[in-house]
Amino acid sequence: MAIDGISSNTSGATLPLAKPAGLQGDSSGFGDALRQVLGSVEGSAGAANDAIGRMLDGTGDVHEAVIALQQADTMLQLTVQIRNKLVQAYQDVMRMPV
Amino acid sequence: MGGEVRNDATIMAALGRQMTRAVQRQAVAAGNLANVDTPGYRTKEIQFADALDQELGTSAPAATNSRHFGAGAILAERPDPTDAKGLATRRDGNNVQMDRELLALNRAAADFSAAETVLAAKFRLVRYAINEGR
Amino acid sequence: MSTLFSAIDASASALDVQRARMEVAVSNLANAESTRGADGQPYRRREVVLESVPFDQQIGAAPTATGVKVAAVVEDQAAFRRRYEPSHPDADAEGYVAVPNVDVPEEMVDMLGAARAYQANLMAIGLIRDTIQRALELAK
Repeated sequence: MAIDGISSNTSGATLPLAKPAGLQGDSSGFGDALRQVLGSVEGSAGAANDAIGRMLDGTGDVHEAVIALQQADTMLQLTVQIRNKLVQAYQDVMRMPV
Repeated sequence: MGGEVRNDATIMAALGRQMTRAVQRQAVAAGNLANVDTPGYRTKEIQFADALDQELGTSAPAATNSRHFGAGAILAERPDPTDAKGLATRRDGNNVQMDRELLALNRAAADFSAAETVLAAKFRLVRYAINEGR
Repeated sequence: MSTLFSAIDASASALDVQRARMEVAVSNLANAESTRGADGQPYRRREVVLESVPFDQQIGAAPTATGVKVAAVVEDQAAFRRRYEPSHPDADAEGYVAVPNVDVPEEMVDMLGAARAYQANLMAIGLIRDTIQRALELAK
């Protein structure tokens, strides 16, 4: 699945997306996964700000700042997609007849 | 071709490093060109230790940075310029060859351009995959 | 200063320097036959003394490019040549004129060299600026 492929490369966060069968109320699996991903997003956003700061005060290069920005953007999109998947999975679970 | 881990992150890090190298080459060439008539000035150049390693795919930094395509991977190598060897010296002690430096500038610009194009494409692909084509 | 911008600064400093070189060469050429200036002396050849402007770099910061500057404009102290030309208004008792220590072919060569170097540094600025723009492309 495309998302798993990306996640193992970008931040090292591995996500148990393949089991929306957290049917037993295994909500901690989701929570941990989400926390990990949010951590990575914050990290990449922080790195982007650092790189931009360096560009502004002249100690860093333009292309470094731009690359950091792109990576932060990618991480953000990944997070949004994961969030969507999680919400979808939750809704699927909730729809299941007991 | 070497034992380097090849995934999106390491490739993108390598592209970023190529851009950093190109930028440094341009700065050195510009400095040489600016001093083509400065008495006693010696042509500078930068030796990048890991350039050969990159080709062989044995670059150690790439492996440790595979998780983190961030500032660390790019800032890692900024070696100091060294004196270029084998250039004819003129009467004023200067050995800068204008054509050589212009060529270096052009080459570095091309390297940067190529890396930028590929890196931009990589980002697009990664996002496409993330968004599953939407 | 980030690498590419400092490279442009270095090239730009060369433009100033090469222009100064050209101006001095032009002045020398224009005055090659000035046997009597305001001080009664022949024109003395002028030349620019160039110095590189090495980067001072903060630790861990992007390296900066070496620029160049005109350290001084000095008068060439070589002796005036003496030319036998009794009919010249400034000829001395023996018929010799003290002539400016300007060698016209050499000044022409200097001028052409300065023009060429100016062009090369101008080209460099264009290339570096293009690279900066390519870097910004990546942000789109």
